Amino acid sequence: MIGLVRAELLKLSTTRLWWVMLLVTLLLIGVNLAFFIGFAGNPQGGLPALDTPEWVQFAWSAGSGGGIFVMILGVVMITSEFRYQTITGTFLTTPRRERVIAAKLFAGLIVGALFAVAVLIFTALVVIPTVMIAGGELSLGESRVPQISLGILASLALYTLFGIGLGALVRNQIAGIVGAVAWAYVIENIFLGVPALQVVGKWLPGGAARALMSIDVDTGMDANMLPAWGGALVLAGYAVVFAIVASATTVRRDIT
Amino acid sequence: MTAIEIRNLSKSFGAVRAVDGVSFTVEAGSVTGYLGPNGAGKTTTLRSLLGLVTPDSGEALVNGKRYTAMATPLNEVGAVLEATNFHPGRTARNHLRLLCVAAGLPVTRADEALGQVGLAEAAGKRVGGFSLGMRQRLALASALLGEPKVYILDEPANGLDPAGIQWLRGFLRHLAHDRGAAVLVSSHVLSEVEQTVDNVVIIAGGRLVRQGTLAELTTNGEKTVRIRTVEGGDLGPALEKAGATVDRLDDGALRVHGLEPEEIGQIVLDQRVVLTEMAAERSDLQKVFLELTEER
Repeated sequence: MIGLVRAELLKLSTTRLWWVMLLVTLLLIGVNLAFFIGFAGNPQGGLPALDTPEWVQFAWSAGSGGGIFVMILGVVMITSEFRYQTITGTFLTTPRRERVIAAKLFAGLIVGALFAVAVLIFTALVVIPTVMIAGGELSLGESRVPQISLGILASLALYTLFGIGLGALVRNQIAGIVGAVAWAYVIENIFLGVPALQVVGKWLPGGAARALMSIDVDTGMDANMLPAWGGALVLAGYAVVFAIVASATTVRRDIT
Repeated sequence: MTAIEIRNLSKSFGAVRAVDGVSFTVEAGSVTGYLGPNGAGKTTTLRSLLGLVTPDSGEALVNGKRYTAMATPLNEVGAVLEATNFHPGRTARNHLRLLCVAAGLPVTRADEALGQVGLAEAAGKRVGGFSLGMRQRLALASALLGEPKVYILDEPANGLDPAGIQWLRGFLRHLAHDRGAAVLVSSHVLSEVEQTVDNVVIIAGGRLVRQGTLAELTTNGEKTVRIRTVEGGDLGPALEKAGATVDRLDDGALRVHGLEPEEIGQIVLDQRVVLTEMAAERSDLQKVFLELTEER
């Protein structure tokens, strides 16, 4: 199994997609951070001032925006095998197909976590000097940096997992990516935005990921949000259920 | 032990019966040509053997096992399917290395296999820039990684230039005759495998048409004799009287079916006709193949 997970990681590292995705992720987070810096202390924007612990807390959470990209990466990790028919060689090497899917899930967790580490390092490199220059004092504990970092780590790792489960289910790359993006930006927002639907919304992947990021921030006052561990379980649950359903259906199909 | 055994294999795709009750075996140390026109069911048979397609009924076994039951399949079976199964952005070496890692083989096998198929120079190049012939060689290299004793190749000569086909023939013979491997190679072009194979299995319309050794198949065909006489001397009626079937060819010659050359000679002598040409025509594999497959 370790060999299979290593092979899955090699599949990613020997093609160019991963660093393109990493670059795009960091770019988006960079734009967000620039926005947070530019509008810090602006009363209309509702952003706290640069030298406050609240601003650090705010800026440190920017990394959660990478979820959509690792989700796409997860989708591609499996659908590109069908697109380029490398799945033939993969299944010839490992004919027990559910083992391949399991290896991809494990590899996805690792890749998502590595992305989170890169994102957090990038955030730190931007936020810490900014606060120093602004004359603020950096208090990691007060800004809940450890909790937020943990939330980003868990959320990116689990979003990658989710993408793989989704990809296994649909097999088609375009359908998988379009489906993931549409879900994240349209359907999730409907469920999170409409009050009557929020009861359902918290059980959806996006709602679950939000719960992961909310560690102590709202002290669990939001009734429409699961606890952080609940969010993690829900997100992982989606991925595992998708993967199991896929192993029993789409992944078992003939490779012709 | 029988290296490859196909027993009563059937598979339908929707309403199309791709393979219909096919059975045959391949023994170690021999090359078997799996022949048939396009769409005959060759690929479906081979993919069933490799666990990629689940047959509706029957069995396809390698070394007495189903492929999906093998713990280390790359060590038992080398497969070459169509040469499109590569990520264009990945280098040849990396493609093979990750198969090694997944199969638990040492990664050094990647470069060794590339050397064996003559791709050592291109090891670091992305597969996207490869010609069809290079992809075929890379596919063959991936089959060699685990040094298996059974090889299953689907139309491996596609895209190879004449020199490449020559090389492939020698390579497959070497695997079977020097290393004792069982080789099953499919083709729709007979001349590609005619000089390579020991045994032949012919399939058409999903059904097995004929199987045997190459020699059996080529001599089992009815013998014909081509004769030409000087003008005016028509042997036709006499030959037909003796029980032959006679085709009158456009160039004035006769093709005689159903008589031995000695019998024809006797008739020529009896009729006192001057012969200008007489040649036994051996029905070659191509003809057998076409006759057998076209009947269906």
